[in-house]
Amino acid sequence: MTVADLDRADVLRFIDAAAPDSPMVLGLGGIAREMLAVAGRKGNHFISLDAMGQTVPVALGLALGLEHRAGVGKVIAIEGDGSLLMGLSVLSTVGHLKPDRLVVYVLDNGVYLATGGQPTASADIDLAAVAIACSWRGARDVRTADELAAATDWALTTEGPVLIRVRISTAQLPAGYFLEDPAILAEDFRRWLRAQSPQKEP
Amino acid sequence: MTGAGAVAEDAGETDQQVLQQRSAAIIAGIEAIDPDHVLHLASSTLKIVLSHFIDGPGAKPGRRVFAMPREEEGVAIAAGLELAGARPVLIFQDNGIGNLLTALLTLGQAYHLPLLAVVSRRGGLGEYNSMIHTISERAEALLDAAGVRWFQLDARTPVSRWTAEIERAWAFARATHRPVFVLVNLMGS
Repeated sequence: MTVADLDRADVLRFIDAAAPDSPMVLGLGGIAREMLAVAGRKGNHFISLDAMGQTVPVALGLALGLEHRAGVGKVIAIEGDGSLLMGLSVLSTVGHLKPDRLVVYVLDNGVYLATGGQPTASADIDLAAVAIACSWRGARDVRTADELAAATDWALTTEGPVLIRVRISTAQLPAGYFLEDPAILAEDFRRWLRAQSPQKEP
Repeated sequence: MTGAGAVAEDAGETDQQVLQQRSAAIIAGIEAIDPDHVLHLASSTLKIVLSHFIDGPGAKPGRRVFAMPREEEGVAIAAGLELAGARPVLIFQDNGIGNLLTALLTLGQAYHLPLLAVVSRRGGLGEYNSMIHTISERAEALLDAAGVRWFQLDARTPVSRWTAEIERAWAFARATHRPVFVLVNLMGS
């Protein structure tokens, strides 16, 4: 594992600031808890409390379901390397369906940090190349704040799906457990979504 | 199949006739729901149903039909679709229930998402696979242990009722804010 310049909390703060009004699916564990620490509870954040491996599939479903909805921008997934590797097949599904609103950030620290730092297999995998091989429209691998900023500008203005792998350190913010009722999280998110662009009645 | 087209199942039909009647009833039930997304996973017993949606009359404008490589991924995609206000239906067979339980319980159940799955039965009378029963005949027990609500359509329910029951399961999932599975036996039992 190499030492990365970027800390997860800084990356999350940057993504939230860059896309403050985009529907965002947050992966479980440190991603969700640290986003809450740096940005607070936000209506556009759908927080996964436990469904490891399912962050990108949920975001894919959102991007498909919102395909024709005005008033909603990019659909962003923020996922960890360990969780992505649990359901890597979704890269093929995304590449096949090509939801143009989907932007996926993979925050890659090379370990399962929330459970003590056990290593993942990510160090030996070129995730950006895998996405491209699965017919995604673009993918980048970034290691610095400048590269992250440039990749984000590109991702938010180009046709998706696109994937940005962000190499991050294993630094963690002290952040407590988040124990909200998931039914409330879902309804809060739906309510936010309805407020952005009321859906037509079928 | 409903009304005059329905045929009593004790009238000596062949297995193929039963398969066609029940498949038609399932198709009609799903079409009555009018899903905008149909997520499926390969199943030989569901071939007639899947063909209707993949490249038959059910493959119509405004509807996206696609394969999920694994059942749990399909559950999560459907969860996102539900959050977006879409109308997804999942179609797969019961030997995949073991694959999806964690996603179903930590997403669908926990977040109160009304996902509808039409699940074909395997491993019973008429089965041609020598080991699929080891998971399939435990499907009900697995779902019960997981607290997942399910309904069963087999020879005990006249095929003339299948279409309406599938449509009612969709409404029931929405009324009770949770995933609902409809287990359908296409193999004649």
